[in-house]
Amino acid sequence: MLNLIVILPFFSALLLALIYLSNPKQKRYQLYTTIGVGTILTITLFSLFILLEVVQNGKTLHTTLFTWLSLGELQIELAFRADKLSVVMISFITFIGSLIHIYAAGYMKDDTGYGKFFSYFNLFMGSMLLLVLANNPIIMFIGWELVGVSSYLLIGFYHKESANITAANKAFILNRVGDFGFIMGIALLFISLEGSGFSFEDIEANIFSIDSEKLSLIGILLFVGAMGKSAQIPLYVWLPDAMAGPTPVSALIHAATMVTAGVYMVSRYSFLYEQIPDVGVFIAYIGAFSALFAAIIASYQSDIKKILAYSTMSQLGYMFIAVGLGAYSSGIFHVFTHAFFKALLFMGAGAVIVALHHEQNIFKMGTLKTKLKLIYITMFIATLAISGIPPFAGFFSKDAILVTAFASEHYTLWAMGSLTAGLTAFYMFRLIFTVFHAQAKKEHSLQSLPKSMTYPLVVLAFGSSVAGFLGVNSAYGGDMLINSFLSLPDRVHPISHTTEYILGSLNVLLALGGMGLAYKLFAKNPKEPQESTIYKKIVINKFYIDEIYTVLIIKPLLLLSHFIADVLEKRVFDALIDTTVWLYLGASKQFIKLQNAKVRYYALYILSGLSFISLYLIFKLGVIS
Amino acid sequence: MESFFALPMLLVLFGAFILMLLSHKKNISLKGFNYIGVFFLSIAAIIEYTTLSLESNFYLYETLFGHMFIVDKFATLFDLMFTMGAILTLLVNSDYFKSRSYFSGEYFALLLFSVFGMMMLSHAHELLTVFISLEIASLSIYTLVGFHKNKRVSSEAMMKYMILGSMTGAIFMLGVALIYGAVGSTSLDQIAIYVNTTPLADMTLLIVGASFLMVTIMFKLGAVPFHSWVIDVYHGAPYPITMFMASTFKIAIFAITLRLYIVSFTEINFIWIELLQGITILTLIGGSWLAISQNLVKRMLAGSSIVHSGYLLIGISSIGLGSEMAAPAVMFYLIAYFISAVGSFGILSFIASQSKRQMRYEDFKGFANRRPYMALMMSIFMLSLAGFPSTIGFLGKFYIFSSAIGSGQILLAGLGILTAFISVFYYFKLIAMMYFYESDDKQKIFPINVSTIIITIMAITVIWGGIGTSLIPFVPGADSFISFAKEAINSLS
Repeated sequence: MLNLIVILPFFSALLLALIYLSNPKQKRYQLYTTIGVGTILTITLFSLFILLEVVQNGKTLHTTLFTWLSLGELQIELAFRADKLSVVMISFITFIGSLIHIYAAGYMKDDTGYGKFFSYFNLFMGSMLLLVLANNPIIMFIGWELVGVSSYLLIGFYHKESANITAANKAFILNRVGDFGFIMGIALLFISLEGSGFSFEDIEANIFSIDSEKLSLIGILLFVGAMGKSAQIPLYVWLPDAMAGPTPVSALIHAATMVTAGVYMVSRYSFLYEQIPDVGVFIAYIGAFSALFAAIIASYQSDIKKILAYSTMSQLGYMFIAVGLGAYSSGIFHVFTHAFFKALLFMGAGAVIVALHHEQNIFKMGTLKTKLKLIYITMFIATLAISGIPPFAGFFSKDAILVTAFASEHYTLWAMGSLTAGLTAFYMFRLIFTVFHAQAKKEHSLQSLPKSMTYPLVVLAFGSSVAGFLGVNSAYGGDMLINSFLSLPDRVHPISHTTEYILGSLNVLLALGGMGLAYKLFAKNPKEPQESTIYKKIVINKFYIDEIYTVLIIKPLLLLSHFIADVLEKRVFDALIDTTVWLYLGASKQFIKLQNAKVRYYALYILSGLSFISLYLIFKLGVIS
Repeated sequence: MESFFALPMLLVLFGAFILMLLSHKKNISLKGFNYIGVFFLSIAAIIEYTTLSLESNFYLYETLFGHMFIVDKFATLFDLMFTMGAILTLLVNSDYFKSRSYFSGEYFALLLFSVFGMMMLSHAHELLTVFISLEIASLSIYTLVGFHKNKRVSSEAMMKYMILGSMTGAIFMLGVALIYGAVGSTSLDQIAIYVNTTPLADMTLLIVGASFLMVTIMFKLGAVPFHSWVIDVYHGAPYPITMFMASTFKIAIFAITLRLYIVSFTEINFIWIELLQGITILTLIGGSWLAISQNLVKRMLAGSSIVHSGYLLIGISSIGLGSEMAAPAVMFYLIAYFISAVGSFGILSFIASQSKRQMRYEDFKGFANRRPYMALMMSIFMLSLAGFPSTIGFLGKFYIFSSAIGSGQILLAGLGILTAFISVFYYFKLIAMMYFYESDDKQKIFPINVSTIIITIMAITVIWGGIGTSLIPFVPGADSFISFAKEAINSLS
């Protein structure tokens, strides 16, 4: 069954692709939906069975498909492992994934590439599950690359606009930068282990044989991969642009699943990062900066999907604070709750976009509160959750992270996190108030939404409300179910309940403050941010990071490649080769003159050869010394 | 029982006589003669094949000939290659024979005589026998080269080849005489005993004699500076003979070279190493110089056959340095070159059978449009000759170069790889001519007859030998041939 969870989506992706390619023009809505959505529903069921099995037995499941590579000591098996961590991951990936698939069946209904879309979508699901369930770093890397490819395909799905293709390329290339670090990390790890097995169990057992400096390097290199995939500073710039893809793609890939792969990876290697806490702190700081930075930018954006994209980046920053400080369970817990409310936000945003005939600027929306009531309510719940208002899911997971930061005496991290929490509430409610409450500038004729696009929202709204109770910590009377289930090597920092209450209420106050500010500014008559002051100008232009990258990296690279193409290759290499060829041909022309068709000359050549051999022998044999 | 091992040789000889007796009969067509020749050769080949599993060596008719002829796995394997080579040459050119009026029954008789000489050569275990069998094979080939006696270039080639061949034959005899003077015998095992027991300082006479033998061998192989006849003779000879010389006759020379170097002169190989390496370098570079500036495809192939001799010489000097893989690598290379050369010359003779033009590179413009399958197969042979991966030619070069590197001749291997790069130029030039120009002619139907079927089989063999080994289990491929060649080499010592 574990094998089937990975194989089925790949298989159905292939099947869908073949059916689609047999006749791309034909509409086969029913067939594509049955295969595409049906497969994901099936594997969701399978994942639940696996989850139950692991919960009951508490044991790790292993299956092996076949040996993929066998080169001497290097034995790479296509093997899967369902331990507690991966089983939690696959349960919510498949669950939320199937909801998004249902939603996509409605969202993409009229698209001509419907079959192609579901083929890509299933391919992504298969790749993500391969990544999560892989039993060794190599297979994990294959999954890691495959999610990159399918993400590329899906971002550029509307391939007729060149901007979308640019966005897809940007995402792919930046991810490749991260992947380079990742594969280097894996390679270095493999070399350092000196051939003592390469499954995660073997690595864990032999991790002590590697000295800590090398281990730190491995840890940083692996984290470079996570920076790319999980959109952290400095490799984050692809994520906002990735919103060029269809909204279900943003919901599934760029909110709930793929971008969290980095967090998952760090938790998967928690045994490794436990040895190098300094690298962990570095990771936490990168996360904190990303969180704050993204929150500031999000507060000045007007595109609904871009706001959500920056918010995703910001929330991912929280997760890295957690895993960096050794609170792996809290990180995964936040991945888990975040998947619910962020998918919900994206899907709600998608519904609004569809209803308004593909309008994405929030300041051109307004007064949708009554017209899109269901979407308003569900999105409001999600916003409460992401802002950390109790008892919604986000409160518990975010609180756990901030408490960890405080308890481990990283007060800077804690302060940045708390500030971000306030900002989060501000920009999220800014979105809600502007879209749903504020007076519309013009009357909208709304497009009706299919049920498949609204019902999944309700399910997710329910999840966003209650998912947090799985990880309520002792201060609030819970027993941290998810933490104890995951049994990751968490670092525990004892802290009194009173402090926790103070921290918790401070966060709630900050969130409420942000909410109040947003209400005051945007609920009645919102104004689109203007580049009136230098500060605003910088923030609205996203700190000019894209432009800085262009000047610092892309321009020099282009210059260099122009230099190589136009000067180095033509003037130096080609000239060198041409000269050599000219010389060789010239020598050939001279040599062929010996071939003068006169047999007396030919005999002469033979005799001179003989004479030379005789001379050689005379010296070699020492007749003349 | 002994006669059974002699039977293939006798059959070929018998076939040659039969063909000679029949040759004046007007009512037998060329095709008839062709098939009589193929018949005798095939029976000989089948008998050779059944005796391949021979375990121990013995002297043929020892009471009669003493130690003049030996029967071992090595000789049997080479006999099989000669007979197969002759059969393929005859079958591939069946169209060509029809199209040229100057062929007659004697032609086939001479070819069989030459095969008989080569078979004797591979069995020969005594220097005079070596000389006689070499001359039997060579004399037949001199005649065959000049077979188109009314054509000036053909007769001229024959005269050149014969004059130079006789001269080197004289050098060979001089060498034999010197060796006899030193050893008191011309038998190879006596020579081996002498070489193993005599101190180096007393062996000068033998070494000089052996060097003279080497000159003749180098001449026959077309190594620079003894190469100058190659291009003229290959050009002047009719296509079937060029093919026969480039493939089968070259193998025969290597048969005796390997035997001499491995059996008799093992202990003193080191004396020649630098000389051999020098000749190899000259051959590789000189051959490619000759090949790149030719306009006629036939002359290009002649030039490139010199380069291929150079690769084989790399293998020979690796043997001298004690590489175990080198001798099987040389044998494998011979097979690989044989298949590719027979295929490419076969296509040339197929085209020549339909027109009387000399074939320049330009004449191949748009060939892919006119005859797409022929062009494809020609490309396959060119790729194989250039040593492109996934063809048998690549494996051949791979074994040669790896044995060279294994014996420490990194420079020579590097030069070999460099000349292989250069060879891409003159081989791919033909492919480019075939594919990158349009032709007004319509696509012609692929003719199915003996020649084209053989060429197709050759093309498939080239690919199969290059990749089939790993793809199709339980079918003998390159690896099993290599292990067989190893056994054959081991049967020598």
